[in-house]
Amino acid sequence: MRNFLKSLLLFKEPNKAEKFILKENKQDTETKTGAKDDSHGESKNSETFLNKILGSKQDDKKKEETPEESKQESKIDKKLSKNLAYMKKVYSIPVNGDIILREFDIMVKDRAIPAFILFYDGMTDREIINNYILTPLMLLSNLDIKDDPKSIIHYIKNHLLPQNQLKEARKYVDVIDEINFGGCGIFIDGLDRAFAADVKGWEHRGVERPNSEQVLRGPQEGFTEVIRINTALVRKILKDENLIVEDIIVGKRSKTPCSMLYIKDITNKSLVEEMRRRLKNIKVDYMIDSGELEQLLEESSFSLIPQLMATERPDIVAAHIADGKIGVVVHGSPFVLLAPVTLADLLQSPEDAYVRLPYAHLLRFIRFLGILLSLLLPGLFIAITNFHQEMIPTDLVFAIEASREQVPFPSLIELLLMEVMFELIREAGIRIPGPIGPTLGIIGALILGQAAVEASIVSPILIIIVAVTGIGSFAVPNFALGLSFRVLRFGYIFLGAMAGFLGITAGLFIQGILFVNSKSFGVPITVPTGPKTSASASSNKLIRLPIWKQERRADYLNTINENKQPKVSRKWINYNQNEGKDENEK
Amino acid sequence: MKNKITFGSFEAICITITLITTQLFLNLPRSMMEAAWTAGWLLTVYITVLALILFLVIERLYRPFEGKDLLDLGEYIAGNTGRIIVGLIFIFFFLYINPVILREFCENIKIIALPESPLSFVMLFFITCMIIAAYAGLESIVRFSAIIVPLIAGGYIIIITGALRYCDVSRITPWLGNGPYEIFIKGMPRISVFVGIILVYFLYPFIRKKSLFKTVGYRSIILSGIFFFTGVLVFALVYQYPTGTENFLPIYQLSRLVDYGRFFQRVESMFVIIWVASALLHLSINLFLIPYVFKKTFKLKYYKPLILPFAIIVYALAFFPENLTSTIELEKHFRNFAWLVTFLLPIILLSIAGFVKPVEKKGAGKSE
Repeated sequence: MRNFLKSLLLFKEPNKAEKFILKENKQDTETKTGAKDDSHGESKNSETFLNKILGSKQDDKKKEETPEESKQESKIDKKLSKNLAYMKKVYSIPVNGDIILREFDIMVKDRAIPAFILFYDGMTDREIINNYILTPLMLLSNLDIKDDPKSIIHYIKNHLLPQNQLKEARKYVDVIDEINFGGCGIFIDGLDRAFAADVKGWEHRGVERPNSEQVLRGPQEGFTEVIRINTALVRKILKDENLIVEDIIVGKRSKTPCSMLYIKDITNKSLVEEMRRRLKNIKVDYMIDSGELEQLLEESSFSLIPQLMATERPDIVAAHIADGKIGVVVHGSPFVLLAPVTLADLLQSPEDAYVRLPYAHLLRFIRFLGILLSLLLPGLFIAITNFHQEMIPTDLVFAIEASREQVPFPSLIELLLMEVMFELIREAGIRIPGPIGPTLGIIGALILGQAAVEASIVSPILIIIVAVTGIGSFAVPNFALGLSFRVLRFGYIFLGAMAGFLGITAGLFIQGILFVNSKSFGVPITVPTGPKTSASASSNKLIRLPIWKQERRADYLNTINENKQPKVSRKWINYNQNEGKDENEK
Repeated sequence: MKNKITFGSFEAICITITLITTQLFLNLPRSMMEAAWTAGWLLTVYITVLALILFLVIERLYRPFEGKDLLDLGEYIAGNTGRIIVGLIFIFFFLYINPVILREFCENIKIIALPESPLSFVMLFFITCMIIAAYAGLESIVRFSAIIVPLIAGGYIIIITGALRYCDVSRITPWLGNGPYEIFIKGMPRISVFVGIILVYFLYPFIRKKSLFKTVGYRSIILSGIFFFTGVLVFALVYQYPTGTENFLPIYQLSRLVDYGRFFQRVESMFVIIWVASALLHLSINLFLIPYVFKKTFKLKYYKPLILPFAIIVYALAFFPENLTSTIELEKHFRNFAWLVTFLLPIILLSIAGFVKPVEKKGAGKSE
C-alpha cells in the first residue's frame, strides 16, 4: 500500500524502453531520415537497443536452459534397449495410460531386426499406423527387393515406410515433440536415429458456421480448433505462394503451435519482425486460447480498447492479410488474431463489403447509431431528467412524470437497478445449459420488466431505455469492443448523474484522449481520422467508397506494395480497349 | 505514411483554430459590439486583415530560422539569459490567461446548466480533463482536435443557420458604427483576439516542413476570421446595438433562438456539449504549454512531473477573481496587452536575431 502511494505521488524515472513504431520499409527509411511520431532520429538507437535486448534474451536463454541441456541434446543410441528404457522413462510407461508402445521385428534378408513404435492413443489414426507403418515393416519387408539396399536405413526409409511426412531425427527431443503432437515414433535396433511419421488423427470439430459473427450475405465458414485446417481455410481464399505461414511455438508445457500469416511482398517488414519478436519472447507455462495470446501480445493491458482483433471468419482474415496486416492462428482456438487494428476495423462487419453500396451505408449508419445509443443513452437520459429538464417537451415531461409517480427510487437508482439486472440476465443467459438458454433469458427479462413496472419498482420509460441500450449493444460487430462499451456505459451513467451534459462531455473528452493515445503495433487506433492520413486510406473506412475505387492499401500500414488494383479496375467500362489499360500493362 | 512530419497541417490548423476561436463562445461578439457599436463585424474583418499582415511579416522574418520556436530564438540571441527571459514571459502569459478562461467557462456552464452545483465542483471536471489531456501529451491533444473540431464547427454552423431567420439588416446600421477612428485606430489592439496564433510558434519544431508553417498560420487566421465574422455579424443582426451589449454569452443567446418544430424547442442544452468540448481542448493545450515551456526554459529532462503542480496552481488561481464580472475585467486587461506578446515580441526577437550572431552555436537549433 505504502509503495503504491509512493509510486503514485512521487516522480519515477520513466522506463527507457523503446516503443514499437511502424516504420516505412527499409529503402524508404534509408533515404528519408525523419521518422513518424516523436521518435525521429532514434531508429538507429532503437535497432541497436533491440539487438541488445534480443542478444541479452538469447544469453539468458542459454543460461536458463543449461540444466535441461543434457535432456535436450541427448542423442539417440544405436542400442534399441537403451532407447526403449529412455522412452519408457520419458513417457512414464506403464503409469501413463494413453501412450502405446508396440515392439515387433522387421524381417530384412532373413534377419530379424527388433524395433518399436510409440504413439498416443486417441491423437493418432489407427488405420494409418496399422496399414502404412506396421504392415510394411512386419509383413512386406520380406518381399523380394530388386535393387540391393546399401544400408538398412536407406531400405526402410525408401521402401518400407510409405509416408508423405517422415522425419528423421538424431535427437530424442525431436521425436518426442512429434509424438506429443500426434506423431508416431519408430525406433529400430542398430540405428542411431529414429523416424517420426505424421499420423495425426484426433477428433475435432468440423468446419461450421461462425457462432459470433454471422452474416446473411457472404461465406458461412468459420475457423475450427485445428491449426492446419485454419491456415488452409485462409490459403483456400488467398491462393498466393507469397502468403507465408510461419510457425512459432508458445508455452513451455503446452507447446502450443501458433502460425503467423502474412503476405511476403505486401506486409511491412518491420511489422513482421516485431510480431515475430513478440511471439518468440513470450515465456509462459501454457497458452490455451488466442484470447490469452492476445493479452500477452498487446502493449497496454489497461486500455479499454482491444489492440488486436479476434475473428472467427476466414474471409475477414484473408481480407486483412491482403491489405497488409498480420494474422496469428493459435492451435486450439477458433479465433484468429489480427494486428494492427484500428477503431474503424472494429466497427466494420464483413457484410459492409459484400452488399451493394447504398445498403452498406444504411447498415453502417444504423450500426453506428446502435453503438452510440448503447454507450450514451442511459447517461443522456439521466442527464436530461436531472439537469436539463427544459429540453424535454412539455407533453413528454408530463408523460414521464406520470409514469414515475409511483416509483419510490431516484432515477439513478432505478436505472442502475435495471442495467445491473439486464447485465445479470445477459451473463446468466450464456451459462444456462441447453438451447433454451438465450430464449429463457429474454423471456426472463420481459417478465421481470413487466413485473417490475407493475410492482412500481421502475417506470415503463426506463424499461424502454434499458431495452434500446441492450439492443444497441448487440449491434457492435466486435465482441471485445462491445464489452468495452458495456463497461464505459456505467461511467457515463455516473457522469450524467453528477453533472449532466458537462459530465458526459468530460467523459467523452477523456475517452477520446485515451483512445487517440492508444496504439496497436505502432498504429494509432483512431487512424485515419486522427491523425489524418491521406484520402486513399480512408477508403472502406467510415464512409465506404465503391469497390472499384478502393485502389490503394491503407496508408498507415506502410505496406511494401501500396497499390491494390489499377486505376481502372472495371476494364469493360471502356469501349476502347487501349484506354482501359493502365501503365503496368502497356 | 506519406506525411513525414509529426503533425499534418490539418491537425495543426484544427488545434490552432480552437485556441483562437474559443473566446467566440465567451464574450467576443459583445466586446466587439462595445468597441465598434453596430460595426463590430467590420472590426473583425479589419483585425483579421491586420493579423494576416503581421503574420506575413513574422513568417518572412522566420524564414532563416526554420524549425525553431521562440525560446530557441531567445537562446540564439542572448544565450541562456535570452531563453529564460522569453520563457518566463510565456509562462507568465499562459499562467495568467489559463485560470481566467477556466473561471469564465466554469461560471458560464454553471449559469447555463448547473445552477445548483458549487463552482469548485464544476471546475473539478475541467481540471481533471485538462490534467489527463496534458499527460497524454501534445500528440494526443492535436490528434483528438482533428476529430472533434469539425464536429464543433458543425454545431456552430447549426446555431448560426438556426438564428438566421431572426436577422434584420437594418440592425447593423449605421454601417460604420461609432466612426472610422474608433474602428481603425482605437480598434487596433483588438488584434489580441488572435493571441492563439502563438501556438503556431511552439508547434514549429513539430511541423517539419517549412511550407506548412505558412499554410497553418494563414489558414488558421483566415478560418478563425470567418468564424469571428459570422458570429459577430449574426449576433449584431439578431440583437441590435444597445441590447446586444447587455447580453451575457452572445452565442448562447443565439442558440436559445434555435428551434426545430413544436417538439424540439429548447435544444440549447445540447450546445453545452460543443461549449465544453471546445473549452476543454483550449484549456488542455494551454495547460500543456505551461510545463512544456517551463521544461524548455530551464532545460529540464521531463515535463510530466510538472503537470500536476501547475494544474493545482491554475486551479487555485482560478478562484482569485471575486466573480464573473471581475474575471471578464481581467480578460479585458489581458486582451489589451496580449498582442505585445503574440505579435510584437516575435517581430522584435526575429529582427534582432537577423542581425546578431548566435551566442552558443551548440545550444541553438536544437529542438524537441
